[in-house]
Amino acid sequence: MSEASGTRQSALIQVEQLTRVFFVGGEEVRALRGISFGVTRGEWVAIIGQSGSGKSTLMNVLGCLDTPTSGRYLLNGKDVSRMDDDDLAVIRNVEIGFIFQTFQLLPRETALANVELPLVYRGVPARERRERAKAALDKVQLTHRMHHRPNELSGGQRQRVAIARALVSEPSMLLADEPTGNLDSATGEEIVRLFEQLHKAGHTLVLVTHEPKLAARCPRAIRLSDGEVVADGPGREVALGTGAGVAAVTGGA
Amino acid sequence: MSFRQGFRVDVLEGGRIALFSLRANRMRTVLTTLGIGIGVATLLAIVGIIQGLNTSFHNQLATLGANTLYVSKFPWVFRGDWWLFRNRKNFTLDQVARIRAQAPFISAMSPAVQRVSDVARGDAQVSSVRITGVLEEYLAVSGYEVASGRFLTTSDDEVTRPVAVLGAEVASSLFPGISPLGQTVRVDGRPFQVVGTLAKKGKVVEENLDLVVLVPFRTFYASFGKGRPMQIAIAVEDAGRVKQYEDQLVGIVRRVRGTPADQPDDFSINKPDTLAQTYEQLTRALYGVAVGVGLITLLVGGIGIMNIMLVSVRERTREIGVRRALGARRRTIVLQFLMEAASVSAVGGLLGTVVGLGTAKVISLITPLAADVRPETVFSGVAFAAVVGLLFGIWPAARAANLDPVEALRYE
Ligand SMILES: Nc1ncnc2c1ncn2[C@@H]1O[C@H](COP(=O)(O)OP(=O)(O)OP(=O)(O)O)[C@@H](O)[C@H]1O
Ligand SMILES: [Mg+2]
Repeated sequence: MSEASGTRQSALIQVEQLTRVFFVGGEEVRALRGISFGVTRGEWVAIIGQSGSGKSTLMNVLGCLDTPTSGRYLLNGKDVSRMDDDDLAVIRNVEIGFIFQTFQLLPRETALANVELPLVYRGVPARERRERAKAALDKVQLTHRMHHRPNELSGGQRQRVAIARALVSEPSMLLADEPTGNLDSATGEEIVRLFEQLHKAGHTLVLVTHEPKLAARCPRAIRLSDGEVVADGPGREVALGTGAGVAAVTGGA
Repeated sequence: MSFRQGFRVDVLEGGRIALFSLRANRMRTVLTTLGIGIGVATLLAIVGIIQGLNTSFHNQLATLGANTLYVSKFPWVFRGDWWLFRNRKNFTLDQVARIRAQAPFISAMSPAVQRVSDVARGDAQVSSVRITGVLEEYLAVSGYEVASGRFLTTSDDEVTRPVAVLGAEVASSLFPGISPLGQTVRVDGRPFQVVGTLAKKGKVVEENLDLVVLVPFRTFYASFGKGRPMQIAIAVEDAGRVKQYEDQLVGIVRRVRGTPADQPDDFSINKPDTLAQTYEQLTRALYGVAVGVGLITLLVGGIGIMNIMLVSVRERTREIGVRRALGARRRTIVLQFLMEAASVSAVGGLLGTVVGLGTAKVISLITPLAADVRPETVFSGVAFAAVVGLLFGIWPAARAANLDPVEALRYE
């Protein structure tokens, strides 16, 4: 027991027997069926799997946008699966930087205002907010576009604004659900390079992708199938299905 | 982050977003505003006019004197058959004297009897003048003041001298620039010598108090006949005890008139209060109806706000999802939409206030109605509109806050 909790505390994310069941028209949809894994600080993990395997559902739970039906989710040592909505809002604000496939920028606000938003909800004074937002935009090389609105930016630029927004509050981890899904391959490559830089700089990254080539570049990948973890190991091996180093994981209890 | 700081953030950010979205949807804001604005305008115009009526009525009433009772066979305000009152016996001068003798609390008292006539001096003429027969103490009871010459005396009355005291308007019309004292005026062809004039007094309830000629009571009877009923004006010593004196007076008058114990009073004691009460009953009903109309208009405006806020919530579903994903709490979202609703309404309330007060002002200029616009009315117009907005914003705001973040982010 004491040893186990020791392990958990060193992990940034520890999920145990996570399930998520949706009820649609009287029918149960079991999107997650008992998922367990851990992520330590500074890791870069890709989550792969076929469409409908539960990747987005898992990301929403990890990002505290959704709560699991059962199981435990420890984030930074705190059990977030038992938290109420207000506390989860604080966790989302402080611990998590979310990056979406569809960017999810506020269309009427400038790039700078979009990046400032998480700091607004944290109660950071305006002047400091502005400085930190500019610094975050600088990390994604977009300071020259900070007064533009999203519809005046290219797809790649929009995603970089979104990444700046995720970085600005210095969260414990970045969660990205198919961040290159809406971009052409050249622009997607730009974004992946950015992730590589962030990883080198020590950020913790969890990335959903259905591109095996991208997953193969990640140090670690987890493969989901039908709501269960079926493989967890080095990115190249899990993504391309080669090598013996893949730890096959059996789902369920 | 402490709760207070959190609340400050919520208010600041909520207010900023509210303003932002009002500016972004100018046309829609104006239209939504219109509904509330019309409601507030209606309400304020009506309230302004009624308050104006009240003020002028009470000002006029005050000139009748709070410590004065009027005894007569007719009540000022009555329901039912007028002839019942007409058939009551007239008061006589003898009764007046006996009432005076029995009621020590009376400080001044005078009967008054009236007819409306033309008053002429040579070719000049003033019409619709109230010719009033009174006694010496009428000056004290009525609150008139002598401007020049003297007032009527008891001896004028006893020997039925044909003398007259002119009201300010009669004097200035018949004797422009010259003194009327010692001159003769004719009432229905009968000559009266002017012995005095009265200071200007104004109007009570649309009755011009300066369009009057006072003559000695018995002179009046001698000149115009004894058929007219009199009204007895009685000033009491202590205005605070009018009610008590009134009760005593009823007993005294019954005794003087020999009213049988099993019969009801065959006279009425009238007070300015009676008028005020009747007036208030009338205006209260009017007020009720008017305020009802205004409230219904506001209700319609409020529903407009609710509708527009629901549209706004739907349009901004994704935005709500994004804000929630970035750390906005439910109450932050609630506050954002409540402030938006309240500020749209407050803007409408402000416009409505301006229009409503303008309308009241215009009405008071082109009609005899006097609008009375008070600062607190303006303030309450805006505040009331904001509250309406808040109330009708609650449901849309709650809907926004209860959106599931994941669903909201997926919303197309
Ligand atoms: N809100 C919901 N209500 C009902 N069922 C849902 C809901 N969200 C997801 N599901 C179901 O859960 C399962 C997993 O969905 P999820 O979106 O996590 O898949 P995914 O791996 O992200 O797929 P994709 O690669 O297509 O994005 C699917 O069967 C889906 O239909
Ligand atoms: Mg998905």
